[in-house]
Amino acid sequence: MDIVMLHPSHIPHVQTCNITNLPENYFAKYYLYHALTWPQLSYVAIDLSKSQNSPHDPPKIVGYVLAKMEEEPVDGIPHGHITSLSVMRTHRRLGLAEKLMRQSQKAMVETFGAKYVSLHVRVSNKAALRLYKDTLQFEVEKVESKYYADGEDAYSMKQDLGFIWDAVKKEDELLRKDDKSTTTPAEGEGNEDEGDPVGDEGQEDKKPKEVMRKVKIGRALGVSDLVEKVESPKASS
Amino acid sequence: MPSQQPLASKEASLFRNVLKFYETKQYKKGLKAAEQILKKNPKHGETLAMKGLLINCQGKTEEAFQIAKEALKQDMKSHVCWHVYGLLYRSQKNFDEAIKAYKMALRFEPDSQQILRDLALLQIQMRDYNGYIESRRLMVMSKPQIRQNWTGLAIAYHLAGNLSEAENVLTKYEETLKQPPPKTDLENSEAILYKNYIIAETGDHQKALDHLEAIARTAVDKVAILEARAEYNLKLGNNEAAEKGYRVLLERNPEKRLYYSGLEKSLGVEGEDRLKIYEELAEQYPRADAPKRIPLDFQEGDAFKSVAQKYLDWRLKRAAPSTFTSLKALYGDVAKRECLESLVEEFLATTREEKPVENGEKLTNGSSTPNNSVLIYTLYYLSQHHDHWRIRNTEKALSYINEALELAPDNADQGELRLGLARILKHAGDVRKAMEEMDNARQKDKSDRYYNTKCSKYMLRNDCNEEAIKTMGLFTRNDVNGPLGDLLEMQCVWYITEDGESYVRQGKLGLALKRFHAVYKIFEDWTDDQFDFHSFSLRKGMIRAYIEMVRWEDSLWSHPFFRRAAVNAIKLYLLLNDKPHLAHGSLANGTGEDAVDFESLSTADRKKAMKKAKREAQKQEKAAAEAAAKAKDERKGGEEKKQDDDPLGAKLAQTTEPLEKALVWLKPLLEFSPAFLEGQTAGFDVYMKRRKYLLALKCLLAAHSIAPEDPVVHEQIIRFQLFLNSKPELSPTVQSIIDETFTLTPKESTLAQFNEAYLSSHADSARASFSVAKSRQVLAAAEGSKSDSEGTDSETLVFEALKKEGATLKDAVDGLALVKEMKGDVGRYVEEARQRWSMSNVFEVKA
Repeated sequence: MDIVMLHPSHIPHVQTCNITNLPENYFAKYYLYHALTWPQLSYVAIDLSKSQNSPHDPPKIVGYVLAKMEEEPVDGIPHGHITSLSVMRTHRRLGLAEKLMRQSQKAMVETFGAKYVSLHVRVSNKAALRLYKDTLQFEVEKVESKYYADGEDAYSMKQDLGFIWDAVKKEDELLRKDDKSTTTPAEGEGNEDEGDPVGDEGQEDKKPKEVMRKVKIGRALGVSDLVEKVESPKASS
Repeated sequence: MPSQQPLASKEASLFRNVLKFYETKQYKKGLKAAEQILKKNPKHGETLAMKGLLINCQGKTEEAFQIAKEALKQDMKSHVCWHVYGLLYRSQKNFDEAIKAYKMALRFEPDSQQILRDLALLQIQMRDYNGYIESRRLMVMSKPQIRQNWTGLAIAYHLAGNLSEAENVLTKYEETLKQPPPKTDLENSEAILYKNYIIAETGDHQKALDHLEAIARTAVDKVAILEARAEYNLKLGNNEAAEKGYRVLLERNPEKRLYYSGLEKSLGVEGEDRLKIYEELAEQYPRADAPKRIPLDFQEGDAFKSVAQKYLDWRLKRAAPSTFTSLKALYGDVAKRECLESLVEEFLATTREEKPVENGEKLTNGSSTPNNSVLIYTLYYLSQHHDHWRIRNTEKALSYINEALELAPDNADQGELRLGLARILKHAGDVRKAMEEMDNARQKDKSDRYYNTKCSKYMLRNDCNEEAIKTMGLFTRNDVNGPLGDLLEMQCVWYITEDGESYVRQGKLGLALKRFHAVYKIFEDWTDDQFDFHSFSLRKGMIRAYIEMVRWEDSLWSHPFFRRAAVNAIKLYLLLNDKPHLAHGSLANGTGEDAVDFESLSTADRKKAMKKAKREAQKQEKAAAEAAAKAKDERKGGEEKKQDDDPLGAKLAQTTEPLEKALVWLKPLLEFSPAFLEGQTAGFDVYMKRRKYLLALKCLLAAHSIAPEDPVVHEQIIRFQLFLNSKPELSPTVQSIIDETFTLTPKESTLAQFNEAYLSSHADSARASFSVAKSRQVLAAAEGSKSDSEGTDSETLVFEALKKEGATLKDAVDGLALVKEMKGDVGRYVEEARQRWSMSNVFEVKA
């Protein structure tokens, strides 16, 4: 098993994995949209049982997490969202879902300053519910009526990422200590700054907006804008 | 430059409205306003152009082009007219023409950023790097304060392979900054990492490392920094730093293999020490699979046994169904797979004796006791072991899985195990029972799409296409285009391909082509998908990911999904080239059964049969159309369904130029997958038929260098030499090139001897026997002396192939097709094949 960041070349196989396991499916462009907007947040699990003969051999993807940042958070708090997560039935009980999720969550905190992560799950999907609740420690926030195309309700679930902020903080401290003993003072100084997101956390709720600015570059465009964008021949420009 | 035809102020304001309506997609209103202008100024070019553009948005492309051309006639020097002309071509995906039109537009309005941007997008989509650099340079010059413009120019240089200029451009922008951007500036964070990525690509890792250290505090993509730092240090021989780097990375993700190999390299460990590292890491990361599993790859003999035992203990006690999958890669090594078998058997023996495990592992399945679960999945392992293609002892595999099934009261386990049982049956060739068992698995948990998917797949393998789509339909969105429509829209390539291959088996060539073309369409869509990202990614700033995407797109058509559909489609077109009657209704059914008859019919009877077939085909098409209409009625209120005027693919199959159609598939195959053997051999066939002998030879030589001993290559060598022997009229140039390059047949012996020599040097291979048999026939035919004895000789060879140790079930099925082609004793062949593959029902002749 190999757990690596989602690469565009994985997409056809992630797509296969998704449509094999789940009723919510997407065309390739939607995966590209994730991979090109928040490349740090999506991960795949690759089965290595077929020894790769050439680099062109397709990877056998047996699990993935497709994740994003909420582009316009209603509550103003930057947070991540799990668009889709699944593991092939043949590869269950290996803890893959959790391993994938942890990689994604860590990047949500480190790169995008996410405070929590949310997701939706079908109310009938007992297995998934158990995974999110028991294994991954998500909490049900509310039920969203008729969330799915077929009219089924969804549990809206949430997990606070405070525990990752703590871990990141500890790691940074360790790194800094380490660096002082081995690297030049200039680099040591440079590393002081690496604790920046942690610094924000330390000041609690005071600066959510500033953290949020971190995720906003350019216009926050969703995939629909992406799809429908058309040029216009302005007579004067 | 002002328009050649100024409008009065009222009309000028109306014209502005037209533009506004277009931009806001209010096409009807836009058209109305345009008509109003045209009433007074019927020859106003720019208004006509806008009218054309609006009409195109309503789907009337032909009319749109007409109007746009008329517009240009009225106002040749208007950039609006040219821009619209370009937009129309763009909407038709004729990018070359669109680029030309945009360039004309720019000539008349050199300062238009809009046109320049549109042009640039097309240039990068077409990979016109020089054009793109030029457009991007103009954009920087006109708006140097915008960072995106600089990054865009750097991308242009980078993709064109000019790394130093790419770096240079990024540096130039950085130098314009009065003070460094804050850490919260994600665009900056990504731009500096992008610069580092470019420096690394120049191969100057010291410079890349220095730069990385300088930006490490500003960039927020921590994984990227850690990975790059470890990699640069490793490449520079800074082993200590590299080791530290990889250890930090492993702490983050102990399941990434690259980190382990990096760590090993930085430590330069061998032998005993190598194992020690992994033992330490396994202790450090007790939940990680990799540090326990990797030593199985490099340990041998007793050392292997000891690590394998530990690994198996850990995995089997957890009763995970995937233990075998994790170890399968080792099965190429006989000693290792035998060792694994005996270890698992030992484990099984102990487990059988043991009382239920106290304080058992945490298991998800409630009803079976933990110990029971362990036992079940140990048996499951052994069943998979014996079903492995290198071992393939179906009897043993079945006995293990059946014992496991008896022990498993729980539905979850039952489903899992039935899945395994179905797989064994499929491998044994009992596709019908395999399908039934997979359906049993599905019944255990109907809410699980995985079971549902596999069940549909097995239905297709058993050529039950109707059932398959119905089953898929339990999970697809059926409100718009029905289950198949949803699968097409969701680009479910595996299903479309399997469906097509099933139709090939059934001789339904039209439907088969229809499916393969759907795969082609998906690849076209995946190519088009990148278009919007050329601008989107600049806005988002995630440049490294964008570059990876562009590079992936560049090799997209080498994808195995495409290759598989392409090889299928080319074979069908070759078949249709030889036997066009197969395109017609019932003559296309029944795996060529009717077709064989058809060829022996008299001309008059052929005509009759053809008429009948066409009548039947019409009936089928009508029924299909009615069914579609009915389905549409049932979906009242749903979205409008797109009309498919060829639901059965009859028009595709009835093409009058099958070889040209084959080329559409062949070209990308040869261009993007030159090392793909089947592509080259298919190319040989197509080009021989097209009488492009040099191209055919090129494919043959390429195929030979990929796999000199391949049976198909052998056969093609003989066919090419026979062709040369027939003294074809070739131009002197062609002849001399062939003389120089084609040296694959021996000068000393005859082709027949060459053929027999190949047989004796490949005595174990069934496929080699087939190839020699076919070649014997071709040689005999060329001599014009197709005596009975030679016919029988070839047939005997095919029969003998059935008994070869290495023969697979697939070989046997291919052999059957060959016997049919030779008009040999099909009944006896099937009987003999069944003696070896007793459970198989793939030899049955389907109605």
